Amino acid sequence: MSLNISLYTISAVLILDNEGERLYAKYYNQGPSQENGGEVHFQTLSQQQKFESSIFGKINKVHQDIVLYDNHLVTYKQTNDIILIIVAKINENESLIYSTVANLFESLNILLDNTIDKSTIVSKYDLVSLAIDETVDDGIIVEIDPAIIVSRVTKAPKFEPGIHVDGDKGLFDAFSFASKKISERLQQGF
Amino acid sequence: MSTVSYKNKDAYSSSSGLPDKMAVFQECLQQFNATPVKTKKCRQLLAKLLRLIYHGEEFPPSESTTLFFSISKLFQHKDSSLRQLVYLTIKELSSSSDDILMVTSSIMKDIQEGDVVYKPNAIRTLAKVLDATTVFSAERLFKNAIVDKNPIVSTAALISSYNMLPNAKEVVKRFTNETLETIQSYKQFPKDQFQLHEYYGSSTSNLPATSYMYQYHALGLLYHLKNHDKMALMKLITTLSEGSSLKNSLSIIQLIRYINKILIDDESLITHLYPILSGLLKHKSDMVELEACKTLINLQHLIKDDQFMSIVTTLQKLLGVPRTATRFAAIRLINKISAKHPEKIIVVNIELEGLINDSNRSISTLAITTLLKTMGAGTIDSGAGGENVDRLISKMTSLMDEITEDFKIVIIEAIENLALKFPSKHKKLVAFLTDLLRDDGSLQLKTSIVDALFDLIKFLPEASAKQLILMNLCEFIEDCEFTELSVRILHLLGDEGPNTSNPSYYIRHIYNRLVLENSIVRSSAVISLAKFAAVCGGDVSKNIKILLSRCLNDVDDEVRDRTALSLKFINSDHKKLIVSGSKYDLAALESKLTHYLNETDFASSFDINEVPLLSSEELKSIEYNKKINKLESSNADASESNDNVKGSKTEDDRSGSDNLANDLLKQQEYAQELSQVPEFADYGKLSKSTLTPKYLTDKENEVVVTVVKHFFIESQKLVLQYDVTNTLPRSLIQDFSVIAVPDNELYEEDFIIPLAELKPEQTGTVYISFSTPSIEDEDLLAAFGNTINFINREIIDDEGNVDEADEGYTEEFGIEDLEVLPGDFLAPLYNSNFSAAYDQLPHHESSVVTISGVNSLENAVSSLRSSLNLLPLDGSDYVPSDTNSHVLKLFGKDVWGGKVGVLIRLALTGGKVVAKLEVRAETDNFSTAVANGAY
Repeated sequence: MSLNISLYTISAVLILDNEGERLYAKYYNQGPSQENGGEVHFQTLSQQQKFESSIFGKINKVHQDIVLYDNHLVTYKQTNDIILIIVAKINENESLIYSTVANLFESLNILLDNTIDKSTIVSKYDLVSLAIDETVDDGIIVEIDPAIIVSRVTKAPKFEPGIHVDGDKGLFDAFSFASKKISERLQQGF
Repeated sequence: MSTVSYKNKDAYSSSSGLPDKMAVFQECLQQFNATPVKTKKCRQLLAKLLRLIYHGEEFPPSESTTLFFSISKLFQHKDSSLRQLVYLTIKELSSSSDDILMVTSSIMKDIQEGDVVYKPNAIRTLAKVLDATTVFSAERLFKNAIVDKNPIVSTAALISSYNMLPNAKEVVKRFTNETLETIQSYKQFPKDQFQLHEYYGSSTSNLPATSYMYQYHALGLLYHLKNHDKMALMKLITTLSEGSSLKNSLSIIQLIRYINKILIDDESLITHLYPILSGLLKHKSDMVELEACKTLINLQHLIKDDQFMSIVTTLQKLLGVPRTATRFAAIRLINKISAKHPEKIIVVNIELEGLINDSNRSISTLAITTLLKTMGAGTIDSGAGGENVDRLISKMTSLMDEITEDFKIVIIEAIENLALKFPSKHKKLVAFLTDLLRDDGSLQLKTSIVDALFDLIKFLPEASAKQLILMNLCEFIEDCEFTELSVRILHLLGDEGPNTSNPSYYIRHIYNRLVLENSIVRSSAVISLAKFAAVCGGDVSKNIKILLSRCLNDVDDEVRDRTALSLKFINSDHKKLIVSGSKYDLAALESKLTHYLNETDFASSFDINEVPLLSSEELKSIEYNKKINKLESSNADASESNDNVKGSKTEDDRSGSDNLANDLLKQQEYAQELSQVPEFADYGKLSKSTLTPKYLTDKENEVVVTVVKHFFIESQKLVLQYDVTNTLPRSLIQDFSVIAVPDNELYEEDFIIPLAELKPEQTGTVYISFSTPSIEDEDLLAAFGNTINFINREIIDDEGNVDEADEGYTEEFGIEDLEVLPGDFLAPLYNSNFSAAYDQLPHHESSVVTISGVNSLENAVSSLRSSLNLLPLDGSDYVPSDTNSHVLKLFGKDVWGGKVGVLIRLALTGGKVVAKLEVRAETDNFSTAVANGAY
């Protein structure tokens, strides 16, 4: 049993939809260092997709939280039409990896206003990708507390700064606003 | 306006909802270069870009560079939410673009004076952008960030430094003091940390003030900076484990792993480090407890039994937690313990029984397989275990109705394994299997049951067990809807039935098939009957002839043909043609045939005699080994196999082939190699070779020498094959020879084939041939003192030429001795009844030895097994860990074809293992040789 003494813990973070298509897939090539024994998994896109489809077939609609598959430890959370999956090495600490996936799920839940589904994930993809980046970076677990993960993700800006011109109506408004101001000034001045 | 065009482009997107790559690319260029930058729009665009990247799309380098340029334009904008996403995008693109260096200064500026919101992102991105040459410019920056008061900034800097280790270790080393300082400091989030999202609203009082994650990252980094300095590492571990200086669970896990690593390198530290680990067996976080258990189980050879019990107690507690992942982890560990020390975990049986119905199938499978093992352990010495087996079986019988077929198959395999390991329990287990066989089920399920029963027939020692199973199988085929199973069972009945006490019972059942079944079953019934006639002879034979003669009028021509042929053989007394006692070694046959086909001329016909014939006993040894290996490997993937039966089977086959059958193949390869050497042409058939080359030098030596012994028994020759590897990169080795001096006069050197030249990194071979004593001679064993002798010449140019004027220098030095041991003359052989076979052997000899270098019975058993090269029978290789004595039964044959049985009584006293060997063999000399030379 090879001991993982590096901080590189997570092999991949995946979000798959209800047909097993990837919505988010990030595989971490755990560095060229000697620690992982030169093993390289999931190098090509087709290898990755093959893995995803087979793992999807195994875990879809089976709420088991954790399975061993193809020499990997796979933990996941399924809801509505998506599955959030975290893959790690077979000897990783099961509880640690499951906590990571559960807490990431929890923080997505907060960020997406309790509606984790395919369309929300696509429309708020910026929040999703930032949340994952704040949880796992390069296979290293950055943060595990959902509240802190959420606090690290910025929301999308609410409005476009600068001059806001919205078609003809906007121009008209601006014009009437300006003329009103000018007339006010003129009246005050005199 | 832009909204409209954006929507239009979306209409072109592919069906999966993925935006079109080119459209996104074009729009990115457009929007990012616009002034003023539209923040919201750009953030959406970046999200789309990221979606493409995370979907696996790649941009070609030129496009990637263009993209990069336009993204860098966004640095002009101050909006922190946009900036954060920009950093993520740059990080993801950094691997595919060559121009990443150009953003370095913008990022460094952000780190120095930017907003705290995106500062950590900037730091993590910077590590991707920098390379070994530019990293120096950021050194100051990183140092400051590591000691920053904000835990998130500190974490980001530590992770980045960690990622830079492979490229810039020297620079990162200078952060050691800062990292140390960070581990022990207390860093708090700024007050406004949680104000970004209204979700938390007023309840800010419940939010954590810090997560201490920086401790985890700092510890990870520190280990790599100090891992060459054992003393410093020990000091670090001791300080950090004191009190509660590590607050973060992840960092404690990391600390446990470092302790584990240190202990692997230096086991003597266990007394010092065990208290730390055992303290962590009780922790508020279950992941820490798990990690401590895992580590201690890995190190179980170092800890005492009562210490081990505290691990079991912790695991027992973890089995009851609501979290699936934790229960799964705990049972995985318990299952691991059960493989070697089932008796240690009998205390958790109650919990395990509760988990049989767990909703997680992996957990319930592991629970069952573990239970089966602990039951077995409970029954082996104490009579009370019998009730447990009953209870378990009744529990599983009730469970059988509720579970899926895949899962049933797992249970069947587990039952079979249990019956093999503990033959005395077979009755109940066989009854369980045959009950299951009578129930409804698919072909796959029935096949697995029949497979299990077949194996039990082959490997259970008692004849009564065999009879019981055969009778049950007879009943089964009375009412079997699957033709292929009927055929297999009929074949087996033909093989096994004639040797039982009441063959007529089986004949009746087989004949019923002849009357009632379809033509395929009928034809195999014919062959089966013929076997009875051939083996039993006498009246049985006469009666069968009558039965068969009726089949001559069968409607099916295959049945008629087989009948006619069988009758002919029986009448003409060609017993061999009906019942064959041996089979060709298929792996060897295949390699011979391939070899033959590659020799294109086909001048001579293929000689089948070159392929070794395996007697049925040898075949059984191979199968038995496979079975046992499978049994052991099934522990590892038991949880996996529940859904994946097919997959795991192929795996088992692969690991199973790793033994005898493979050995035979290896032997074939050696024989092939040796036959290429003309000098050995008249030595005849190669009898035996040692399979793993023995190192006679250190593996790091300038010349590495390994040796393989080849025995030619017919011609009484021993060929030593010295494989020599030249590891010196700048030296040419010439005239390499080995001087091997035997200490036994009966060994005479015939000739040596030296090696003329060996280039760097090449491997060559030196053969030495000896004439050996025969089995009648007094002294079979010998030791060879080896000295190597060669000329070393320096290589002066890149083509590998040597300076002709320089004659090099001669080197001669001794290397390790080589011994000829009894194991060299032995091969494992299976026999289902050890005591009977053992008692029949005429010559016996005994000796008492102390086995050196081992401290447990288990190690002694495996060491004896490999040194004698015999097969352990009756499950006697399994040593219960709570005893101080053990009986090991080994069986095999010598190279002259005689059988050898060794009964070894082992006793553990005062940390030493003493063995009394009783050797029985067919020749007097050899039993003496084995008894005296075993250790």
